[in-house]
Amino acid sequence: MATLHGWRAARVTPLGELYTPPRITAAVLRLTVQIVLVASLWHGLYAHTGTTAGLTRDQAVTYAVLAVLASRLRELDQYAARDTVVQHLHYGTIVYWYLRPLPPHRYYALRALGEQLYGFAWALTGYVICLAAGVVEPPGSAAVTGVFALSLLLGQWVLYYVMLLIDQLCFWTLRNDAAIMILIFAQNLLSGVYAPLWFFPDWFLTLSAFLPFQATLSVPLSLYVGRIPLSDAGAQLALQAAWVVALSLVTRFLWRRAARRVVSQGG
Amino acid sequence: MIGSIEVRGLSRTFHTTVRRPGFTGALRSLVNPERAVKHAVSDITFDVSQGELLALLGPNGAGKSTTIKMLTGILTPTSGEARVAGVVPYRERERNARNIGAVFGQRTQLWWDLPVRESFAILRDIYEVPRAEHAARLREFDDILELSTFWDTRVRHLSLGQRVRCDLAAALLHDPMVVFLDEPTIGMDVVVKEQVREFLRHQVEERGRTVLLTTHDMTEVERLAERVVLINHGRLVLDGTLDEIRRRFGSTWQVRATLADPHTPVGPLPGIVLVRRDGPQVVFGPDGPAAPTVHTALKLVIERYEVTGVAVDEADLEDVMRAAYVHANAEAV
Ligand SMILES: Nc1ncnc2c1ncn2[C@@H]1O[C@H](COP(=O)(O)OP(=O)(O)OP(=O)(O)O)[C@@H](O)[C@H]1O
Ligand SMILES: [Mg+2]
Repeated sequence: MATLHGWRAARVTPLGELYTPPRITAAVLRLTVQIVLVASLWHGLYAHTGTTAGLTRDQAVTYAVLAVLASRLRELDQYAARDTVVQHLHYGTIVYWYLRPLPPHRYYALRALGEQLYGFAWALTGYVICLAAGVVEPPGSAAVTGVFALSLLLGQWVLYYVMLLIDQLCFWTLRNDAAIMILIFAQNLLSGVYAPLWFFPDWFLTLSAFLPFQATLSVPLSLYVGRIPLSDAGAQLALQAAWVVALSLVTRFLWRRAARRVVSQGG
Repeated sequence: MIGSIEVRGLSRTFHTTVRRPGFTGALRSLVNPERAVKHAVSDITFDVSQGELLALLGPNGAGKSTTIKMLTGILTPTSGEARVAGVVPYRERERNARNIGAVFGQRTQLWWDLPVRESFAILRDIYEVPRAEHAARLREFDDILELSTFWDTRVRHLSLGQRVRCDLAAALLHDPMVVFLDEPTIGMDVVVKEQVREFLRHQVEERGRTVLLTTHDMTEVERLAERVVLINHGRLVLDGTLDEIRRRFGSTWQVRATLADPHTPVGPLPGIVLVRRDGPQVVFGPDGPAAPTVHTALKLVIERYEVTGVAVDEADLEDVMRAAYVHANAEAV
């Protein structure tokens, strides 16, 4: 009950977007352009060879297009809504988060959930269109679909915590734009949005194995295209779940410290 | 007890790092930071009873906002204690949140991207207010604050006055017993200010809410508050009625009377001296700390003498407060 009573906070992002049609048009345009570009890029790269890094052309294109779609899950124009932690700290409106019977961490989680569900609706629509147009391949089997869905869910969960961590940083630094830029780049690079991870040198893969970014996108997408076989899926899912647990502990600790920080600073 | 505020010896100290000027100064601050202690609020004690509106006054930097932050539970005091509607706000933040409403003048709690009514609906859910009750309360607020003309507009498109009116409504939607308002009428035009005052009067008198308000607008204080607490440099200077403050710091009134008979002998009245006499024209002024208010003085003069005309000059509250702030400053030094 305690969680449910503020569920409407989850509607903030979708409502805000619906009230601003230009943002939706821009999103459609950007997504279309990105997909067309990515698909033609990979088609071009495969023009003279059949397989690279153990992947056929169609697998590579599918991976890249899915990566673009998934990155849409949580990449909204957050600043426009003035409801980011950094803005609330800047305007001093963070005090209201601590004046309501809904604890800040729960409000934040509800907001993020709404945002991710909204992004998911976009990604799903894009996926269905791409599937119908033959840009992406369907998953290999029902089992692959199930494992992929589970892995994607866990991946988004990890992503949620990573973004939360960056937002929590603001309570101490008051700004996080540099951190966000690094995060977005690292996130896109290490999770395989720019190029599938297996094209990178070994040392890079080793480094990235110690960071949570692979768990967000690379793992679910690799499962989808079959780069990670179903036999390895269990271990990968467990790793993702481990990241969820670890990050949830860290962020919970930081919420407590942040509250004390607000209490001593006075917003 | 139910909707009262009790403040006992409340203090708050801030520790800050002194920033030295210039480049070398900045470097030195980095290597060897110099810590400074700021006593924002020192040992403040006062009470506000249920259904009372109290104005917390003081010059810029006096510690008003800091006090309000402690009473809303955002800040923890360094020492002392406070109870709001029986709850220690900084210890039981969530329980306290249900009892109080707050507006921090320049900061909005509304959702920037959404129409105002959506913000109200989100707050309704967060505070678990039944729908019918919510609708009835919105109608009541709309009657005085005229919100319906703009409550379908998105917050980003509201004017300042409209936004603050919405913020005021938002803070009261869950029917809180105690309301904290930190400069609620900042930047409003006179018509809107009057609307807000009427609204607050209504909330205090008809709904029995307890209101603690800070403002720099003395007209507002005069129209709304019976009692004020004056603080300066974090210390409580005075806790009393407006009349008491006038008596203490604003002894600059004069009562000018024209006597019916210019030969009437005129002497001093209790707490009143004869300042000047010119035939039938007499001027009275206050005498010492026990001087009555200008209204009492006027009554006394009319009762005692037969007059054909009277006029009063009174230092307005603005002047009185200026005197009070200067006085408090002198005491602090
Ligand atoms: N977080 C903080 N860190 C350090 N000093 C602070 C902090 N918050 C307030 N102060 C200091 O405490 C004193 C009281 O500040 P406060 O905001 O309570 O004043 P105020 O009475 O609300 O003034 P105003 O009328 O300008 O709003 C000021 O000198 C201020 O600089
Ligand atoms: Mg203030």
